[in-house]
Amino acid sequence: MSTAEIAIPAPRARPQALGPLATLARRRFQLTARTPRELFVPLLTPIMFALVIAPALKTALHTDASYESFVAIGTVGLLIPLNTMFSGLGVIVDRVSGAQRELLTAPIPRGLLLLGNLSVAVAITALQVGVLIAVAVARGIHFHVTGTGILWFVSAAALFTVGMYGTAEILANRVPRQEEYIARVPAIAILPWFLAGALFPITALPAFLTSVAKFLPLTHGLALMRYGLRGDGTGLHAIWGLSDPAAMAALSLGVIAGFALLLTLGSIRVFSRSAAR
Amino acid sequence: MNAIEVTRLSKTYPGGVEAVKGIDFEVAAGEVFGLLGPNGAGKSTTVGMLTTTIAPTAGSARLAGFDVAEDPLAARRVSSVVFQEPVVDRSLTGRRNLEIHARLWGVVPREAQARIDELAASLGLTELVERPAGTYSGGERRRLEIARALVSHPSVLFLDEPTVGLDPRIRAELLETIAGLRSRAEMTVLLTTHYLDEAERLCDRVAIIHAGRIVALDTPAALLAQLGRELVELRVDGDVTGVLVTLRDRGVAGADAFAVGSRLTVPLHEHISGEAIAAIHQLGLAGAISARRPTLDDVYLRLTGDSLAAAA
Repeated sequence: MSTAEIAIPAPRARPQALGPLATLARRRFQLTARTPRELFVPLLTPIMFALVIAPALKTALHTDASYESFVAIGTVGLLIPLNTMFSGLGVIVDRVSGAQRELLTAPIPRGLLLLGNLSVAVAITALQVGVLIAVAVARGIHFHVTGTGILWFVSAAALFTVGMYGTAEILANRVPRQEEYIARVPAIAILPWFLAGALFPITALPAFLTSVAKFLPLTHGLALMRYGLRGDGTGLHAIWGLSDPAAMAALSLGVIAGFALLLTLGSIRVFSRSAAR
Repeated sequence: MNAIEVTRLSKTYPGGVEAVKGIDFEVAAGEVFGLLGPNGAGKSTTVGMLTTTIAPTAGSARLAGFDVAEDPLAARRVSSVVFQEPVVDRSLTGRRNLEIHARLWGVVPREAQARIDELAASLGLTELVERPAGTYSGGERRRLEIARALVSHPSVLFLDEPTVGLDPRIRAELLETIAGLRSRAEMTVLLTTHYLDEAERLCDRVAIIHAGRIVALDTPAALLAQLGRELVELRVDGDVTGVLVTLRDRGVAGADAFAVGSRLTVPLHEHISGEAIAAIHQLGLAGAISARRPTLDDVYLRLTGDSLAAAA
């Protein structure tokens, strides 16, 4: 045994947060890119709704052409939850058979691991929403596009994605196996979509369910996205009942921002607690 | 300054399971220290607390002077871990796995590449490092994990059961690799194992851990010396305790002789084995009798009443 006192090297300077965050995001992106199902599967159902079911419903129900753009945006409300929930599966894979334990011993705040995953989930969702809208436009669906409108749409979609990814992280860190996670996805990603005015206005629901729908973040998100890309404030009016669309849009944006903030903080807390037993 | 200082460290899991019960030890800089015990003894929980993935319920621990509970980022910055189970990104290349570690531990990219190439060469990974880690054999993956842990020049390296699950040939190769780490004099190594030969071969000092407590701590040679140069082992049909008392009364066995089941073990400090065996035969006490050099398993058996090899 060596009995000599050996100087312990001084620890190197604390790395800046952005460097590790970029490393973690790049890692997550590389892992996702090697799992094509995470990129393409969430797109299938929304594109089918936008391109097949919406035109069929328009014909069957004898509605006008604007119904197609109504449903096209409604399908964004399905795409975002499906994509973020698929991203959450990666967290379980990372924990069960990946390098998560190694990352937990890294000299970085553990919340960065989650933010790295989140940044990739947001980027991939943005890509998929872009593809969905582009395919809809290519199919001849018309949107009423303005600079301000795009801002409302992007803000709503981005914040809703952040909130839904927080939901996915919380679930992924609370269930031990992929099977249990997948069993919960329909209740979280699909059920609210039917209630949130994706295929029809929430006022068409029974009064009790209309009241329930007003509390769903997705209802606010869809109303705001339609206000942005269709110039249509009826969804916002159905929620708030005010006369000023911009004010109602701001209120709904606040709801979605609160949803995103709450779920992100909650997911960091759940992850940090599960990381250190 | 010690590289590792552990003071009354305890962990009780929710539900009341006491995995670690107030252990104390210190590891000097440059030392290779072993935690030896069977599965469930508390070794991995101890490593978990030292690497900040398990929160202690009492006591404290410091790595290179940094408290793992109060300054976990600093403690993590000076340490690396090789886990018991495979912990790699399987779809990424070996090099990418190493790069991620280097970046997160703050190694300058240019230095990291040189370091990765050097480690890949010294650990026999040069031909593999561009392949996805998922294609590696168990031994190759374990060498990759050791290389990853070394990329950041850790002051403290934790090896948690590094050879578990490997076939004998790969295990022998890996032990060579780990033995080679001793030449990195600036690094302190804490190794957990339930293999006696690993502890004897690799460690400067060994703490034997049993049911969450350290029951012995010394150099392997000193632990073995407790049982003398040789020991006699005999199988007894009938009253083992009575035979033990008789051997002590006749001066054949000392106070450290012990019985587990029908097996009686008599450390020999003053007698030679031939004399002891002859004396036992004269008394007509044993059915089967043999003499051999003591092992750490005998030390463990005497301290706990349980065989380490059997418990593992």
